[in-house]
Amino acid sequence: MKEDNGSANEALGEALNEALNEALNEALFEPKIVGFLCNWCSYAGADKAGGAQKSYPPNVNVVKVMCSGRVDPQFVLKAYDGGADGVLILACHPGDCHYKEGNYRALARHRMLLRMLEQHGIEAARCRFDYVSAGEGDRFVKILTEMVDTVRALGPLKALV
Amino acid sequence: MRTGVYFCNCGSNISDRVDSEQVRQKVGNVSDVAYFKTFGLMCSEEGKEFLHNDITEEKPDRIVIAACSPRDHESTFMRILSGAGMNPYLMQMVNIREQVAWVTDDLQKASEKASHFIKGAVKRVGLHKPLEKKAIDMSPDVLVIGAGPAGLKAALTIAESGRKVAIVEKRAVVGGEPVLYEEVFPNLECAPCMLEPMLNEILHGEHAENIEILTKSEVIDVAGFYGNFIVKVKTEPRFVDLHQCIGCGECIAPCPVSVRNEFNNGRDDRKAISLSFAGGLPNVPFIDMNACLRAKGEDCRLCDQACPLGEGIIKFDDEELVSERNVGAIVVAVGSALYDSALIPNLGYGKIPDVYTAFEFERLLSSTGPTSGQLQMSDGRVPESIAILHCVGSLDKNHNEYCSGICCQYAFKFNLMIEHKLPGTFVTHLYKELVYPGKEEYFLYKRAKENPHATFVRTVNVNTLEINRKSDKIEIKNTAGGSLMADMVVLCPAIVPSKSSGKLGEILDATRDRFGFFEELHGRLDSAKSKVRGIYLAGTCQSPMNIQQAITQGMATAGYVLSGLVEGRKLEIEPITAFADEDKCSGCRVCMSVCPYKAIEFNTEKQKASVNEVLCQGCGTCVAACPAGAMNSNHFTNDAIFAEIEGVLA
Repeated sequence: MKEDNGSANEALGEALNEALNEALNEALFEPKIVGFLCNWCSYAGADKAGGAQKSYPPNVNVVKVMCSGRVDPQFVLKAYDGGADGVLILACHPGDCHYKEGNYRALARHRMLLRMLEQHGIEAARCRFDYVSAGEGDRFVKILTEMVDTVRALGPLKALV
Repeated sequence: MRTGVYFCNCGSNISDRVDSEQVRQKVGNVSDVAYFKTFGLMCSEEGKEFLHNDITEEKPDRIVIAACSPRDHESTFMRILSGAGMNPYLMQMVNIREQVAWVTDDLQKASEKASHFIKGAVKRVGLHKPLEKKAIDMSPDVLVIGAGPAGLKAALTIAESGRKVAIVEKRAVVGGEPVLYEEVFPNLECAPCMLEPMLNEILHGEHAENIEILTKSEVIDVAGFYGNFIVKVKTEPRFVDLHQCIGCGECIAPCPVSVRNEFNNGRDDRKAISLSFAGGLPNVPFIDMNACLRAKGEDCRLCDQACPLGEGIIKFDDEELVSERNVGAIVVAVGSALYDSALIPNLGYGKIPDVYTAFEFERLLSSTGPTSGQLQMSDGRVPESIAILHCVGSLDKNHNEYCSGICCQYAFKFNLMIEHKLPGTFVTHLYKELVYPGKEEYFLYKRAKENPHATFVRTVNVNTLEINRKSDKIEIKNTAGGSLMADMVVLCPAIVPSKSSGKLGEILDATRDRFGFFEELHGRLDSAKSKVRGIYLAGTCQSPMNIQQAITQGMATAGYVLSGLVEGRKLEIEPITAFADEDKCSGCRVCMSVCPYKAIEFNTEKQKASVNEVLCQGCGTCVAACPAGAMNSNHFTNDAIFAEIEGVLA
C-alpha cells in the first residue's frame, strides 16, 4: 500500500512536472514564422518600417522572392516542415503588381493551399496572405504583429505535414 | 565550399543594436562558413577597398554580406565582386539594418534574428550559380504608329538625332485631328499654322531623309521583341505617285464623280480623286476607288489626262502593298475618338439637324471646312443662339466615369470663336463640372465668362435633358425643370479609345486599361511606356490629354528610344530569368497561360516550352505554376529557396 502510494506519488509528480513544463513552454513560446516578401512592394514596405525605426517582434524570418507569384505552395510546406509555426505571404496591392498579375496568382494559390492545409489539420490562420505596398511601413508592422500574436495564441505547430 | 561572411557595422547603425560577436558565435560554426569578418562601414571608400582586397586574398567560393537592405547597396557590392574577379551573383546580402537592427528593441533578440537571416543566406548562397549578363544586337530604327502631333513630334525628335524612323498613318494625310481645327486652346492659335512648321520639317526638313512616311497604311503584324521587332505594314494604293506629284490639283476638277466628304462629316462633297482638305499634307491627291468610275468598269482617264506632268503620275494599276520593317522600338500614337453621342438618344444626335459633335463643329469653324468657316445652320441660316453641352458621356457611370479634361477648354474656345465670327450670338454652356487646371487655362474661362452673351448653367446630368425640334428651333428641356431654345447644339463628348486600338493592342500584345486606352507601365513614373518592353505610348491613345501633353509625351517616347536604343550598343539581358528543362516539360502550357509578358514560346513540333530571355522579367510565376517541375528561375531556384527556408529556421 505504502509502496503503491509512493509510485502513485511519483507518477503524479512526473505528470505535474510535465504539465508544468508544458505550461512554461507555452508561456515562453516564441513562434517561428517565415515571411515570403516580394521584392518590389512588401520587401520595400518592410524596409520602410525599418527606415522609420518602428519596433516589431523579431519572430519573422524574411525570405525575399522577386514576386509573390513565385511563392510555390511547396515553399510553405517546406517552412512548416522545417519548424515554422506560421507563414506570411506579402504581395503588392491588387493592380500594383510589378509583374502585372503575379499577386493574383499568389492569391489563388494561397486559397488552394488553405484547403489543403486544413485537411492536414493546420489552421488557416497559420498561413496568411496580405498586401503591403512599398510605402506602407505601418501596415507591414501591423500585419506582422497580428500574425505573431495569432500564432502565439495558437501555440506551436504540432500537426504533421 | 568556402563561404566568407562579412558583417558591416554601418557606422554604429547596426553595431548599436546587433552584437556581431554573438552573431559570429552562432554562425561561425555553420558548415561552409570559412571566416566571419566585421567592418565599420563597408560602403565607404575604405570599406570597398577592404572588401576588394579581402576577396582577392581569401578567394572565397561564396560571399554573404550582412549589412543594409540589398535595395541600398547590393549593386555596389556586386561591382566590387566583379572588380575582384568574382562572379557577382555568387553573393547574398542579408538585410540586418532595415529588417533587424532598426526594428528590434532587444540586442539579444536582434542578434538572434540576424543569425537566422545569415544562416539562411549561407545555405542559399552555396547553391548560387555564376550568371552572366547576355548581350544581343538591336536595331536602332523606330516605327511610329500614328501621324498626329504626338507621333510626329516623337518621329521628328528621333530623326533629328540621325536615326531612321518610319511613320505609319492610316489616313492619306498627316497631322492628326488638330490640323483639321481652325484655332486651338488656350490662346486661340491658328492650328494649321502652329503645326505646319513641324510638318514641313518632317516632309522637307534637314532630317526628312531619316523619316519614311507611310500614309494609307496600317500595322498588320508584329513579331519579336525589344531591339528586334519585325513589323508588317499594309499600304492601301493611293493611285497617285507620292514622289512625283507636285500637288497642283489640276486632276480634281475634271473628275465626274462626287461623293460625300468624310473630312467634313459629309456636309459637303468631294471628287473621287481629291485632296483630303485644303492644306492637307502630303499635298498629293488620292483616288477613292470605291467611287471612281474605273472600278465600275468604265475607262475614264479624265484625271490622268488633266495632269500637267503627263502620264505616269496617276497610276491606275497601283496595288495594295505589304512591306516589312525591322525596328528596335515602336511608338504607339494612334490617338482617340469621341464617345458616340448617339448612345445618349435623348440628346437627338444624328436625328435632329444642327445637333453637332465638337469635332463637327470644329470643321464648321474651319476655313478648310464645308462652309469655309462660315458659321451656318444646315438650312443656310445664321444661328442666333448656340447651346454647348459639356460632359456628354463623361463623369457618368453608365457611359464613361472619367473626366476627359479638355472639353471645357475647347468649349470656352468655341464661345470666343462664336463671338468673333458672329458677335451677339447667345451662347449657353450646360455643364456638370467645369475644369480649367494649368497656368493658362483659367484665362480662357475668364474670357468666356466675360462674353456678355454667354450664360453658364449647371445641369448636373445630361441624361435628364431632352432635345427636340420645335418649329425652326431646338428645344433643350430639362426633365428636372427648365428649358431653353437654341438654333444649334454642340455636344462635347468624352474622349474614348479609337476603334482600331483594340485590334492594334492585340497585334502588339500591349494591354489596355479598363477604359480601353493603352495601359501605361506606371501611371506617374512611366506613363509613356506600355507594359511591353520597347513599345512606347504617346498622346491620347494612353489617356485623354491636350496637344501640349501629347507633344510632351511624344518627346518622352523619343527620350526612351534615344537613351535605351543606342546605335552600336547591345541589349543587355538580365540573367535572373526563368528557364525550362526540356526533359521534364510535359507540354501542358500552363506556364504560357500565367506569363504576363508572353515570354514563353512553344515548340509545337517538340511539344516543349522554352523561355525567351529578352522578354522574361524574372518574376517566377511560371516556376511556381509548372506542375512538372520543368520550370526554374535563375538565382531564385527552388533549391536555393528551400535551402534559405531551412537555414532561417535552423
